[in-house]
Amino acid sequence: MAEVSYIKASRVFSGNPPVRAVDELSLDVADGEFLVLVGPSGSGKSTALRMLAGLEDVDEGAINIGGKDVTNVPPKGRDIAMVFQSYALYPHMTVAENMGFALKLRGVNKAEIKEKVAEAAKMLDLTKYLDRKPKALSGGQRQRVAMGRAIVREPSVFLMDEPLSNLDAKLRVETRANIAALQQRLGTTTIYVTHDQVEAMTMGHRVAVLKDGLLQQCDTPRALYDRPANAFVAGFIGSPAMNLKTVPLTSEGAKLDGIVVPLSRSALDAASSEQLAEVTFGIRPEALALVPSGDEGMEMTVELVEELGADALVHGAVKIGDSSERFVVRVDGRTPPSLGQNVKVVVRDATEIHLFHPESGARLEA
Amino acid sequence: MTLDATSLQVVKASDARLKRTDRSRLASFGLHATLIIASFIAVFPVFWVLVTSFKPDARAVETTPKLVNESSLDNYSRILAGDKGGFLTWFGNSVLIALLTTIIAVFLAATTGYAVSRFRFPGKRGLMMSFLVVQMFPFAVLIVPLYNVLLTLGLQGNSFGLVLVYCTTAVPFCTYMLKGYFDTIPMDIDEAGRVDGLSPFGVFWRLVLPLARPGLAVTAFYAFLTAWGEVAFASAFLSAADESKTLAVGLQVFVQQNRTEWGHLAAASILVSIPAVIVFYLVQRFLVTGLASGAVKG
Amino acid sequence: MRRFLDRYWYAYAMVLPVVVVIAVLVLYPLAQGVYFTFTNINEANIANPVLDRPATFDVVGFKNYLNVLSGDQSYGAFWGTLVRTLIWTFSCVFFHYTIGLGLALLLNRQVRGRTLYRVLLILPWAVPGFISAFAWKYMFNAQYGIINQFLRSIGLPDPVWLGQSNWALVAVIIVNVWLGVPFQMVALLGGLQSIPGDLYEAAEVDGATPWQRFVHVTLPGLRSVSSTVILLGIIWTFNMFPVIYLIADKNPNTRILVTYAFERFFSGASRDYAVASTYGVLILSLLLVFASVYRRALRKQGEVW
Ligand SMILES: Nc1ncnc2c1ncn2[C@@H]1O[C@H](COP(=O)(O)OP(=O)(O)OP(=O)(O)O)[C@@H](O)[C@H]1O
Ligand SMILES: [Mg+2]
Repeated sequence: MAEVSYIKASRVFSGNPPVRAVDELSLDVADGEFLVLVGPSGSGKSTALRMLAGLEDVDEGAINIGGKDVTNVPPKGRDIAMVFQSYALYPHMTVAENMGFALKLRGVNKAEIKEKVAEAAKMLDLTKYLDRKPKALSGGQRQRVAMGRAIVREPSVFLMDEPLSNLDAKLRVETRANIAALQQRLGTTTIYVTHDQVEAMTMGHRVAVLKDGLLQQCDTPRALYDRPANAFVAGFIGSPAMNLKTVPLTSEGAKLDGIVVPLSRSALDAASSEQLAEVTFGIRPEALALVPSGDEGMEMTVELVEELGADALVHGAVKIGDSSERFVVRVDGRTPPSLGQNVKVVVRDATEIHLFHPESGARLEA
Repeated sequence: MTLDATSLQVVKASDARLKRTDRSRLASFGLHATLIIASFIAVFPVFWVLVTSFKPDARAVETTPKLVNESSLDNYSRILAGDKGGFLTWFGNSVLIALLTTIIAVFLAATTGYAVSRFRFPGKRGLMMSFLVVQMFPFAVLIVPLYNVLLTLGLQGNSFGLVLVYCTTAVPFCTYMLKGYFDTIPMDIDEAGRVDGLSPFGVFWRLVLPLARPGLAVTAFYAFLTAWGEVAFASAFLSAADESKTLAVGLQVFVQQNRTEWGHLAAASILVSIPAVIVFYLVQRFLVTGLASGAVKG
Repeated sequence: MRRFLDRYWYAYAMVLPVVVVIAVLVLYPLAQGVYFTFTNINEANIANPVLDRPATFDVVGFKNYLNVLSGDQSYGAFWGTLVRTLIWTFSCVFFHYTIGLGLALLLNRQVRGRTLYRVLLILPWAVPGFISAFAWKYMFNAQYGIINQFLRSIGLPDPVWLGQSNWALVAVIIVNVWLGVPFQMVALLGGLQSIPGDLYEAAEVDGATPWQRFVHVTLPGLRSVSSTVILLGIIWTFNMFPVIYLIADKNPNTRILVTYAFERFFSGASRDYAVASTYGVLILSLLLVFASVYRRALRKQGEVW
């Protein structure tokens, strides 16, 4: 059990120009917390995790585990366990040997190793496979062995780098729940890397969003969804992605295809204090609604309808100024509009509007 | 119209299939014929020595050679009894030297190959280049300076000095080969081992070496052969006393002194080849994968 | 500096033994060998610790190089020998590669008894070189050799293989081809097996004939193995001394650079170390030039090596 903190930690890969794969990352993870690192490919998630594991140098700053500075401690001294994307099972050892290897290295006696391995195997439903080599296992079983190898050690921190990305969709959902439940039960601090924001939202106590090596925001899934700190996070979290458009401002609100969406006073103040003529206007598909054609609203031509069962996603073009912009609206799955139809779209709830600075992307209003 | 086209296609397809099996029957004959001829050429010289080894010296040089001609095991028994030089002593020396060379060369090549495969460090490129350059120099010409070095180190006339010299000839190629093999072992395995509590050396010793067995087998084979059949260094660096000779040197002397004793020579040759062939047989199933990854990655 | 050591010490620890061994047993002797090329050192004037005799050789500058490069007969007719070395090297490597590739292609198919064929075909590699040399020398014998016996029986002329003619060169090339094919075959077979099967299927679906598949899938797939084994083959063959030395002895018709160096080194009482070393240095320079040209050519084709 331990808390983890990154203190302005950076990893700079030499090159021309040097790549700042992780750039002054500051992050505190509480004891027992499940923290998810999420971000697009190449954003530095794996690098950040590997820095914590001691597999990657920390070029600037420091990393603490359990209050101790481990910046220059080799992996074996950090009391961590890691699950790799490729699982990295030792091909020449059986499942039981794989799981017990770390204990063996620590000089734990054989009987105790056996007992702990058996216990973990039972927890993960691997008892049948203990004598097999990894080659003779399916992908899902290998994944569980990799988990088992981490659990057996009873480390103070679990690190997982996209452990589910090699599984099929159904198994992934299942395993996702299992991992979360397991973590709950063991209460071990866990850092989990994924590029899948659904995984991030469903599993993490808190989610840290990275982009280009920079931490964008770290908060609970709810807070990320409700109050994204910038346009990047707004677009990255939530599926389907938030509609983000640059629109002109009037003294009343944001101007969209003939209608003016009224904005809150504080938002308008924030914009005017920066003297902005335009803002990045964000609204989630679920905060938009279709209204009967007589009513007031944005005119939208339906271009695509994705039926998801309970819901349907309506993609369509809306005129903003001279150009036409694509919007997505989530509607009731039973009564979707048909292709080519002209519909009217309104904002369901003004409090669900997000405004961002058009250049910096930072959230406007306090 | 459509019907015509489809039926035509079906006919064509089955036609093609027919042709294919037809051709492959002929091809299969050609394939086996070629392989049999090639294998015959590969094996024949050895086979012929084997045949000769049973003949008395006089019968071995008849102008119309026969497979069996007063054949017996006499040549072997006389050689093993030591009538033609201290064969068994030479044999022991050779085994010792070849085994030591194999162990040391494989160990050196493995550590170096691992470092070159896994770590980036200043001087790595230079090291790899120097391995290539070492192969280019005709070693024979180094004998005098080498002699001086070994003398200074007190290893001249000593088996261990010879072993070191053999290692320098075997290690560069072995390192290349093993580096290539190590490159095929994913880095994740190393990292998992580090996280599980191994030091960099522990990773090498407990994970990478066991996984690199095919590569190590090929390397061992190569190193063994380097030492087993070498003549020039062995004659220069071992003391002239008969009991310190290796097989290759002893046999060479035997050849020079007994140019006509073909039967005995053949028998001795067969005896010398047996250990090499045994080693070869043990590693042959690893040869292809082991050598390939080395050469592919170079 | 501390950080430097901190980061790299295990890498250096792992390469250190090899570096030490190579430095002591190759680089230092090499330097001394290069020094010898500027002297007139030989058996008579070298320091002899056994007889307690000090060295009495002199530095003679570039004289050895001038003598050798003049192509003088008494210094091994350098240019003629060089040409013979090139013929030897390229014909050997050519046959090694083509035969090796051919056999590898055959072995790469589903053939019954593939393992047996493979074992038999690799066998020449496993037999110690001096034994093979002895076997071939016996088979090439003009009177009682099985080869001439065979040629006579099918009515072909039976040359004196190892006599003073170019037949001797042909004979040693045959032996060296026999010796060298297994290595190339095994390396190329490994290369073939590393070409993913679906590439062939993709090509077949695209309508490529077997020949087109060979040219557009197999050969490019073997590119990096080939470039490595050909380079190694050339270096090794260029310096291949035991085969020639053991089979043809000091026959001038089979003399290549490295065997001449050896001849000078061991022959008679004079044991001309200076000229032998000069040959050694020239061989090294030729190979270095060749290797760098070869690399550059490969790099031009986009091959990183
Ligand atoms: N060894 C290295 N040398 C140079 N640059 C590197 C190295 N490893 C990673 N990088 C760079 O660092 C950045 C972050 O890489 P990282 O592997 O952490 O991304 P990631 O967020 O895990 O992406 P993915 O989701 O694709 O795994 C990338 O731009 C990558 O190119
Ligand atoms: Mg990653």
